[in-house]
Amino acid sequence: MSDLRNPIGSATEKRTLVEEGTTFKGSLSSTCPIFVKGGVEGDIQAPSLTVAASGTVSGKVKAGELKSEGSIAGEFDVDKVQLSGSVKDNTVIKAKSLEVKLTTSNSKMQVVFGECELEVGDQPTREKAADKAQENGKSVPPPADT
Amino acid sequence: MAELTADAVVSKVKRGEKIDRADLSGINLANAMLEGASFRRCDMVGANLEGAKLRNANLKSANLCEAFLSGADLRDANLDNADLEGANLQRTLLAGANLSRANLEGANLQGANLSGARLTHAQLDLANLGGADVAGAVLTHADLGECYLGAVKMMKAELTNANLNDSNLEDGDFTGATLADAQMRGIKARGAKLVGAVLSKADLGKANLTNADLTNADLRNASLGDAKLEGANLTGAKVYGLTAKGAQLVGLKADWLDNSPNADGSVRVQAAQVQAVLSGEAPISSARESSRSANHRYFGRGDVLRNASLQFDEGATVEIESLFESCTIALGRGTELLIGPDGILAGCQITGAGNITINGKFFEATSGRKSGPAIVGAHQLVVSSTGAMVGAVQQPQELTRFAFEPGCQLRMRITTGNGSGNGNGAKGGKK
Repeated sequence: MSDLRNPIGSATEKRTLVEEGTTFKGSLSSTCPIFVKGGVEGDIQAPSLTVAASGTVSGKVKAGELKSEGSIAGEFDVDKVQLSGSVKDNTVIKAKSLEVKLTTSNSKMQVVFGECELEVGDQPTREKAADKAQENGKSVPPPADT
Repeated sequence: MAELTADAVVSKVKRGEKIDRADLSGINLANAMLEGASFRRCDMVGANLEGAKLRNANLKSANLCEAFLSGADLRDANLDNADLEGANLQRTLLAGANLSRANLEGANLQGANLSGARLTHAQLDLANLGGADVAGAVLTHADLGECYLGAVKMMKAELTNANLNDSNLEDGDFTGATLADAQMRGIKARGAKLVGAVLSKADLGKANLTNADLTNADLRNASLGDAKLEGANLTGAKVYGLTAKGAQLVGLKADWLDNSPNADGSVRVQAAQVQAVLSGEAPISSARESSRSANHRYFGRGDVLRNASLQFDEGATVEIESLFESCTIALGRGTELLIGPDGILAGCQITGAGNITINGKFFEATSGRKSGPAIVGAHQLVVSSTGAMVGAVQQPQELTRFAFEPGCQLRMRITTGNGSGNGNGAKGGKK
């Protein structure tokens, strides 16, 4: 898991920071990476969004990259997602790539998922899977009547 | 000879003026208040900055060769591309600083605080980082050849592709650090702590890892040829593809090793076989076979199962490379179910507190006979980079442990048992 202490390049690079103890409500659009240690309720548009362990984001988010160790809820339309922390109920994550790692501790959860939907990568299809199976020399029956 | 006096520099900084490109070689600015000052491209060779307050200062491309910066406060400073060759940075505060591409060759950073600092492509060869705090720092592609890293604190540091050849890491703490693809030939890492460190594809040839703690380390496809591992602890280490030819393994401790390609624990090497496997005396395949108990079930390529009900007891391992259609599979607690890269489960339902790994494809029933979620009550669900899953997952009361690798394809609905959330309710959820 990446460290969030210095998540978006150096401290001297421009970034939008929502500090711990601050709650922002409304639309937030930025050309800089956004780093949330406090709370954001509303819509966010940014090249990247990082949510620290103390951070919460709920609303509609459109970003190139999302790294979260905090709590997220709402609709997320992102290219690349790295998740830990928690995903609240009624959340939809649409992404080209998603990464969630297992913790080494068997008792600990990397991500706590509430009731949510994940749409990641291309739509998997039975046809593609069947084609692959045929390439591997399998005899594949037609799809079962369901 | 400096073109400005120390007093003139301090006054200019006070007035908020930039001092870029100035010749400040040999200047004495010990303990000076210089926070946020701009010294871009300044010549500060041999300058005395002991105890100076340089927080947030801009020293980009400054020449600080042989400068004395001991005890200085450089937190969050910009030292991008700065030349600090031979500089004295003992106990210097560099937390959050940007040292990308900086030249720190032969610098003394003993006891310095570099936590969260950025050191990508930095030159640190022959530097002394003894006892320094480098936790969470980013050192990708950094050159740490022949560096002294004794008792260094490098927890969760990012060292992918870094060069550490012939460095001294004795008693250093690298817990959770990422050292993938790192060059670590001939390192002296006696007693080093590498718990949970990612060392995949790292070259550890001829490394001295005597008494090192490599518990749960990821050593997949790493090289430990001719390394010394006496007294080292490798329990739970991920060793798929690891080569350790000629390594000294006497006294090596390992209750078990994880020899699965995806580091998911599905193929275990038990203690009795560890040395034979690492030394190459026992082929991986035989270890793999022996690790599979009599409880292993394998459904090979070309097989097709339809409308079957299967139940696998606690402790069983099940591997599917076949096509399963409209089957129900009940897993006992801790039962391992691996859907191989060629495995396809279509219209199936899996129930029970098993550990499921999907390297192949899983499609829920689109309509009709099968009702309810595709996976119910799993303890663990891993979808690897080659895996695809379309369907609903109903978590048990104690919740499912999820892992997803980049490259996986998902159309997944995650629900909780009671259907009313798990106390994880959203205030501002889906609009």
